[in-house]
Amino acid sequence: MSRVIGEFEELVLLAVCILDGEGYGVSVKNEVERHTGRSILLGAVHITLYRLQDKGLVESRLGGSTEKRGHRRKRLFRITQKGMEQLRASQEVRQKMWALIPELNLGS
Amino acid sequence: MNSKRKSFARRLAGTLLERKVGRTYVEEFLGDLDEMYEDRLAAKGKFIAEGMYWIDTIHLALGFSSTAQKQSHSMFLGNMVKIAWRSALRHRQFTILNLLGLTLGIATCLAIGLYVYDECTYDTFHANADRIYRINQPMIWGDWSEQMGTTGPGVAEAIRAEISDFEEVTRILYQGEYLVRVAQDGNALNFNETEFYVAEDNFFRVLSFPFLSGDPRTALKEANSVVITGSTARRYFGDADPMGKTIEVKLPGGAFTPYTVTGVLADIPSRSHLQFDLLASLASVEEFKESRETWIWTIFGTYGLIREGTDVTALTEKLQKLPPRWAERTTQSIFNQSFEEFTKGQSWTLYLQPLRDIYLAKTPDFNRFGPSGNPEFVTIFGAVGILVLVLSSINFMNLSTARSSNRAKEVGVRKVLGSQKRTLIRQFIVESMLYVTVATVAALVLVQLSLGAFNVLAEKQLALWPHLTNPYFFGVLAGFIVIVGVAAGSYPALYLSAFKPAETLKGKLRSGFRSTGIRNGLVVFQFTVSIALIICTFFVQKQLSYTRSIDVGISRDHVLQLYNIHQMGSGADVLKARLEENPAFSVVSKSGFLPPHVWTSDRYRAEDSDQPVVDLNYMRCDENLLPLLKAELIVGRNFDPGNIADKYHVIINEEAANVLGYGSQETWSGNSPLGKFVVQAFGAEDKFEIIGVVRDFNFNGVKQRIGPLLIMHNENDKHWSYGPGMPAFLSMRLNPATVRNGEQLQRIIDDVKSEMARIDPAVQFQYSFMDDDFDNTFREERKMSVVLNLFTLLAIVIACLGLSGLAAFSAGQRRKELGIRKLHGASVRQLVFLFSSEFTRLVALSIVIAAPVAYLMTDRWLANFAYRTPMDAWVFVVAGAAALAIAALTVSFQSFSAANANPADVLKDH
Repeated sequence: MSRVIGEFEELVLLAVCILDGEGYGVSVKNEVERHTGRSILLGAVHITLYRLQDKGLVESRLGGSTEKRGHRRKRLFRITQKGMEQLRASQEVRQKMWALIPELNLGS
Repeated sequence: MNSKRKSFARRLAGTLLERKVGRTYVEEFLGDLDEMYEDRLAAKGKFIAEGMYWIDTIHLALGFSSTAQKQSHSMFLGNMVKIAWRSALRHRQFTILNLLGLTLGIATCLAIGLYVYDECTYDTFHANADRIYRINQPMIWGDWSEQMGTTGPGVAEAIRAEISDFEEVTRILYQGEYLVRVAQDGNALNFNETEFYVAEDNFFRVLSFPFLSGDPRTALKEANSVVITGSTARRYFGDADPMGKTIEVKLPGGAFTPYTVTGVLADIPSRSHLQFDLLASLASVEEFKESRETWIWTIFGTYGLIREGTDVTALTEKLQKLPPRWAERTTQSIFNQSFEEFTKGQSWTLYLQPLRDIYLAKTPDFNRFGPSGNPEFVTIFGAVGILVLVLSSINFMNLSTARSSNRAKEVGVRKVLGSQKRTLIRQFIVESMLYVTVATVAALVLVQLSLGAFNVLAEKQLALWPHLTNPYFFGVLAGFIVIVGVAAGSYPALYLSAFKPAETLKGKLRSGFRSTGIRNGLVVFQFTVSIALIICTFFVQKQLSYTRSIDVGISRDHVLQLYNIHQMGSGADVLKARLEENPAFSVVSKSGFLPPHVWTSDRYRAEDSDQPVVDLNYMRCDENLLPLLKAELIVGRNFDPGNIADKYHVIINEEAANVLGYGSQETWSGNSPLGKFVVQAFGAEDKFEIIGVVRDFNFNGVKQRIGPLLIMHNENDKHWSYGPGMPAFLSMRLNPATVRNGEQLQRIIDDVKSEMARIDPAVQFQYSFMDDDFDNTFREERKMSVVLNLFTLLAIVIACLGLSGLAAFSAGQRRKELGIRKLHGASVRQLVFLFSSEFTRLVALSIVIAAPVAYLMTDRWLANFAYRTPMDAWVFVVAGAAALAIAALTVSFQSFSAANANPADVLKDH
């Protein structure tokens, strides 16, 4: 893949992937927070999700509502084929580069 | 989550989001926000949840604002402000007049608002203020239809025994001045304490005055313990810790008794109707032990804390069962009368008065404790404040409307260039709201700056800054800005924006601009209010100076009076003898009570007559007082020092002779009251022989008619007011030959002071002049008149600002007309007359409307006084003339410059 995605974009994309079709603003935010331990603003997640959608890496549909949300529907995101490829590409780039680190020998 | 339960802040956030973010996203965003809110509410509490809700909302709104489909107008706002600024600069005179008038109006209203708020929120600082009531009862020693704020101690006992709706009932009493002696660095310091109260041990469970040190629950438990305020503690002990210290307290005529300081209170807030410096425990009062059940020792303030949810009406009904059941024991033992005989069918009602109403209520008339407000002043000031605000708002609208017609061309051009009607309306409204905002801010600054002077004037401690943290205060300000801004902006906005650009550009608008009727109406209204205020203040002044000139029947000038004489015991007679030797005084007299402060009354009847029992005010004095006052005896004689029997003789005034049934001088024809007896309608029914009748004089000021008066001899020991603790005064008539200037007067006063200190250094030297005392009975009215004068002046200034603005506008409009007239031979005088007559007519109309209104209002106010100044017609004439003169002066500048202009210049351009 030629296009490069940012670190936060990658995290969000991974979260959408993990949630497997159940990813929407709050759940993605919680997922990223759970794994990274950082605190994230909802707005940041939404902006990133829409950017990823613009890039064609995720797709979305309006989904189920709950009483907690005041009976408002959520926008559920799902990763696209292109998104999967992007993730794999980033992963490969990293592994290639990891392999090139000379004689990395942690903990003897 | 039910949307109805959402807080206002969250709904506002939602609205913001809806406006800023494209419709496609709003639903999911709000859903997410709500979901997170719920999670955070459960995990971190409401405060964090609300806060984060807002942060997230703003973040989303910023991030997605470009996605909104509707174009936002916020980018125009800067443009609108710019246009408003330019137009303000272009019409500088209008802008300044406009802002000045509005600022003055808002500032006045704010200051008055602070005053009214202060007056209306007395005693609200107590923890359970809404559940505290004072128990009042009828004035059983006089007119039963009037109330007094105190009861006998038996009322509290009865309530405790029978009524469970009270959580706590407590008693407080005031016995008069005390002398306090404090040892400080080996010296004994003496203090004369006038605010010395005594309270029951549970007092602080009802009224939560804050403590600095000590335990509110136990401070007043033991006999001879006392709680003092912080500033009293500093007076006594400096910076030393006052707790546990001993002070010596002495009631006049008693002995010094040691009291232990068991608590220190923060200084009593100014907004408390109870103002005390020292509060001793009720257990210290010896008489209380035997008389705790009595119903006629009516000097106890009885305060009760009722249980939550108690029905006050039902409770009041329950209270009415108490007096017949409990007071009878007292009436039997003291008066040998049954309850019915004592009340004579009048009802001994117990009233529940809410604590927060006590300060400002008109009732009770007697024994209210501490300062009391005047509800009439609050109403008058409130009305004046609102009037001034309305005046200045009208002024503002008037000027904005007048000015806006100058902008017809601007509106035309903007329309031609594609401006929508809605944008134009918004422009005008934004402009006027900007003005109001600027004026409001300026008014806040102005009030803050002038509050010190206002406080001196109104004798208040008002402050603006505590209100600045109050969201309601800002809500009111914001509401005001929106209402006045929209009201002032909407007329020109709707009117101008409706015009067809082609016509306005051709200049047709000017001839078609028909709002003069409305504007003239507004000017008439302003001047009506101003003229009515001028007339009212005129009469207030007139009434005040009239009260000074009333013949009170005695000579009140050159009379010096000394207080606290009873505290000197036998030293009083020594002092009197010394003062009699002083050549500065022609007569010296000792008396209990002094005009104009003879307020106490008792019940008497004429012997051997079927006349009913009546109330007589009484005072006691020696043989010198009547000559000193230059009171005139109609028949009979004054007390005679050589006649020992005079001890039990009395002198009455004409009114007393009348109410006792002897009739007046004209009707008693040889059968005068001399030698007859008046009988005290209580106790052992002692009787006193009448030896003289004195011409009526005003013994309690000139607000009331002269009441019946009984004058007893100082030594009359058959009346309960005889005794060492009863107040006594010395009065001296100054020998005019010895007092030529203020310096001599000061020397005489110093002489008296050192004479008094030589006899008893512990007694505080306190003096006054009788004419000042008469004057001071009108202190409140005088204070009111000063404030009223100020506001009248403001109202006139605002009205004039409005008028001069309109005149300037009109001059601008009619420049050409006046120019043409001048060309055809009109003189400057004719033009000025022509121009001014239009405004003069408006002011004349205002006078016609204002006069009857002012007449009615003044008539109502004057009804408060027994002696009222006549409502002379000349006052109306003068006020009208003054208004006309002020108006003419205001307009004249504009009319002269318009009439003097060179017609060539005027007609040349445009």
